[in-house]
Amino acid sequence: MTDKTVQHALHGGQFLTFVSGDELFAVDIMQVNEIIEISALTRVPKTPDFIRGVINLRGGVVPVIDLTAKLGNGLSDLTKRSCVVLVSIERNDVQQILGLLVDEVREIIDITDDHVKPPPSFGDQADTRFIQAMAQVDQLFIILLDVSRILEQHEIEQAGAIAEQLSDSVPQAAHSNH
Amino acid sequence: MDDLTQTFIQESEELLTQMEDALLALEDEPGDEEQINSLFRAMHTIKGAAGIFGFDPVVDFTHPVETVLDQVRSGGRALDDELAGLLLQCKDHTAALVEQITGVGEIEATLLADGYTLLEQLTGQVQAPAVAADAAQEGVVEQEPVGPPHWLITLKFHPDALRNGIDPVSFIRYLGNLGDVVDLILHHDQLPGSDAFDPESCYLGFDIIFHSDASKQEIQAVFEFAEDDCDIRILPPAEIECAFEQMMDELPDDHTQRLGEMLLAVGAITEHELTGSLQQQTEQATAEAEAPVLPVGHILVEQKAVSRELVDKALDKQQKAKQKASHEASLIRVDSAKLGRLINLVGELVISNAAVKLRVEEQGLGELSELVAASEHLVEEIRDNALQLRMVQIGDTFSRFRRVVRDVSRDMEKEIELVITGGDTELDKTVVEKITDPLTHLVRNSLDHGIEMPQERLRAGKPAKGTLSLNAYHDSGHIVIQIRDDGAGLDATRIRAKAEAIGLVKPDQVLTDKEIYQLIFAPGLSTKDKASNLSGRGVGMDVVRRNIDALRGIIDIDSEPGTGTTVTIHLPLTLAIIDGFMVSARGERYIIPLSMVEECVEMEATAWQVDEDRRYVNLRGEVMPYLSLAEFLQIPHCHDDHRRESLVIVRIGHHKAGFVVDTLHGELQTVIKPLGRIFSGFRGISGSTVLGSGEVALILDVQGLIQAATAQMQLH
Repeated sequence: MTDKTVQHALHGGQFLTFVSGDELFAVDIMQVNEIIEISALTRVPKTPDFIRGVINLRGGVVPVIDLTAKLGNGLSDLTKRSCVVLVSIERNDVQQILGLLVDEVREIIDITDDHVKPPPSFGDQADTRFIQAMAQVDQLFIILLDVSRILEQHEIEQAGAIAEQLSDSVPQAAHSNH
Repeated sequence: MDDLTQTFIQESEELLTQMEDALLALEDEPGDEEQINSLFRAMHTIKGAAGIFGFDPVVDFTHPVETVLDQVRSGGRALDDELAGLLLQCKDHTAALVEQITGVGEIEATLLADGYTLLEQLTGQVQAPAVAADAAQEGVVEQEPVGPPHWLITLKFHPDALRNGIDPVSFIRYLGNLGDVVDLILHHDQLPGSDAFDPESCYLGFDIIFHSDASKQEIQAVFEFAEDDCDIRILPPAEIECAFEQMMDELPDDHTQRLGEMLLAVGAITEHELTGSLQQQTEQATAEAEAPVLPVGHILVEQKAVSRELVDKALDKQQKAKQKASHEASLIRVDSAKLGRLINLVGELVISNAAVKLRVEEQGLGELSELVAASEHLVEEIRDNALQLRMVQIGDTFSRFRRVVRDVSRDMEKEIELVITGGDTELDKTVVEKITDPLTHLVRNSLDHGIEMPQERLRAGKPAKGTLSLNAYHDSGHIVIQIRDDGAGLDATRIRAKAEAIGLVKPDQVLTDKEIYQLIFAPGLSTKDKASNLSGRGVGMDVVRRNIDALRGIIDIDSEPGTGTTVTIHLPLTLAIIDGFMVSARGERYIIPLSMVEECVEMEATAWQVDEDRRYVNLRGEVMPYLSLAEFLQIPHCHDDHRRESLVIVRIGHHKAGFVVDTLHGELQTVIKPLGRIFSGFRGISGSTVLGSGEVALILDVQGLIQAATAQMQLH
C-alpha cells in the first residue's frame, strides 16, 4: 500500500456499518447511494464466485458483489435481513454503481480521525487491497472499505480471460467450417 | 463560438461536400452543367459568407478559385483531370482554412503558403500575399472588390431640411466614422432658377458610394435625426446582396411569415423602411378604394429599399414554404439526444407493459388480457416507429468512398471504378457511425492489396480497369454489407506461411482455404511485405474485426485466386430494442435475438443422429455443431431438471448451430441494457434486459456461441 492511501485512510467521518459473514464493515456514507432489499439476482455465467449476479435497479442493470465470498469465506446465505448496499465508484472517470450484498445493515456512526488505524498486514494470501483502514469504536474493530478497489481491473480481465480460454480453445479464426 | 459562426461552419462543410460530389460526378460525366454550376455556387457562397464574417483569408483564397470556376462555367476553360485534381485540393484547403479561422481565429503561415502555391497552379499566376496579390491580379478582367463592401446611399433632402436645423454635410461627414466615402454624386436638378431660389431651402440630393463593414441598420442609424426631412435609400452592395439571398435560403421554412418580416429578418430592410411601406400601403388602400392595393414588396422595390431580385427570391421562398407545409414529407431537424431519450422511454414502456401482461396472466384476469394485447400491439408499433426515426440510409457512407477510391487510384496509378448498390438500405445511425472506420479500412485494403496494376490485370486477361463494389441489403433482421473487388484474391499459401511463422497455426494443422482467409483477422498477422502509405495506418484487420464484434456483427471473407475477394459483414439493424426469444436452461432464463433463430425442434437423439462425442447433429441432411447452454454457461444443477430438451437452431450469415435448452418461453420484446464494463470481457453474453417481472435476463451472444460450438465440434 502506498503512502498516499495510508494518509487518506486515516481520516474519520460518518460511516455506514454493516455485517457480512462475521465481520463488521463500514463505508464512507458519501459513497453510499442507497440501501435496497435483496431482489431477484440473475447469475452471470463464468464470473468469479464473489460476483453474485446482476439486479434490476429501476431499469438499470447493476452487478452485486458478495463481500463474504470476496474475503474467501464462502457464499453468504440470503436471509430476511440481507440487503444490497449500493455504492458509486469511479473507474477511469466513469461513474459506476456497484451493489454490495451484506447480511445486515447496522447504523451510521461517527468515527474520529484518531480512531482510524492503518490496516494490519494479513500476510500474502489474503487479498486486502480494498481494506482502506481499521477503526476501533467501543472495543469493536470495524473494517473501513475502499469501495473503488473492491473490483480490481485485473480481476475483471482475469475472469474475462478464463471465459475466453473456455470458449476459444482453438484459434478463433478457424471457426468457419462450411 | 456563436450560433452564426456555427452555421457558417456547417454550411461550408455541406457546400464543400457538394463541391466534392460535383467534381467526382463530373469525372463520370464531363460537361454536366448542373454540376459545374453547383461547383461555382459552392465557392461563391462560401466566399460571400466568409466576407460577411470578415474571414478575409477565406475570401482571398476562394475568390480566385471562384474566378477560375466562372471561366469553366462560361466555357473559357476546360475542366480536365488536372484541374479537377487541383479543385479537389482547393476544396480541402478551403476546409482547412475554415477550420482554422473559426477555431483559432487566424491562419498559420504554412497553410497560407500552401494556399498560394495552390492558387499559382490553378491560375498560372503568382499569388503573393496581401498587396502584391492585388497588383498581380490587376490584369484579370473580372475583378470583384475584396474587402469591405460598397454601399449605395441615396439621400434626398426635403426643402425644409435646413430650416429644421438639418445640415446634410454633417451627416455625410459622420459617415466617415463608419467607413470611407468612396464617391459622391451631387443631384442638383431640383435647383430652381435664381429668382425662385430660397437660400433657406435645401434642394440637394446625394448619391454616395460608401465603403464599410457596417450593417444596414448601423448606416441607417446615422441618418436617424434626418429621417423626417430626408428620403433615405440604402442599397446593399452586390456581395451583401448575395449574402442576403443566402440568408434568405437559410431562413427557417415558416409559411406564415410575411414578406416584410422575411426581408427584415435577413437585414435587407430596416424596420423604418418596413413601417413606411406598410403605412403607404394602408394610405393607398384608404385613398383609392377602387385601385388594387400594391403589395409591400412592390412598394419596397419602388422605394429602392431592396432589389427586385431579393424580393422575388423572398416571394419564391414564401411560396415554396407554403407548398412544403402543405406537403406531407416536410422534414424536421431533431437533436439526436432527444431521439435517444425517446427510445429509452419506449424501452421503459415496453418493460412496464410486459409487467402488466405478466400480472394479468398471473391473476387470470381474462377480460383484461384482450386490453393488454391491444396495448402491447400499440407499444410494438410505437417501438418500431421510434426506432425507425433513427434509421438512415447507408448511401451517404458509401458515397464517401468515391473520394477515397479516386485518390488512391490516382496515387497508385491504378484504374478503379467504384460501383455502389443498395445505397437506400437503412440502418441505425449509431451503427452507421461505428461502421465507417472499419469500412474505410476494408476499402483501402481492397484498393491497395486487392486490385492489381493495369498491366498486371491485362496480362491476367482482365480489363485494365478494376472494379470495387459496395453493396448493402437486408437479410433476416440484419443488414449485410459487402465489399467486393475483382482483384488478385487472397494468397492462401502466403497467409498460412505468415500464420505459422507467428505460431498462430501448427504446420500439421489441416485448414481449408476459407479458414486460412479468416486468419487475416487475427492480431499480428500481416501479409504486407512492405507497408504502403495506405495501409499501415495503425488499423489492422484485427481491429476491424473487433469493431464489428462490438456491434454484435459478424465478418466473413471469401476469395477466389485471380478473380477477387468479397468481404461480407452482417450487422444487427439496431442496438436498442429487439425482438427476443426466451429460453431457459436449468431454470435460468436467457434471450436469443429472434432474428437469429431459424427453428426449434425437439432434441431427439434418434431423429437427428446426435453425435454426443463429436457434438454435432444431422438436421435433415445438414450437419451442424450444437452445444448445451447449461453446460457451456456452467449453470448449477437444480431440482427441476427435466429431460425434454429442445434444440434451438440459430443462424448468422452462413454459420449455423444448435443450442440445447430445457424450456422455450417464446417471443418477447427485449430492451437491450448494457451489462456494464466489468462484464465486457465475457464471451457468450452480449447484454441484458429487464423482464416484466423485474428480473434481469441475459442476452446470449449468438455469434460467440456459434464459434464456441464449432470449436467444440472440431476438438473432438
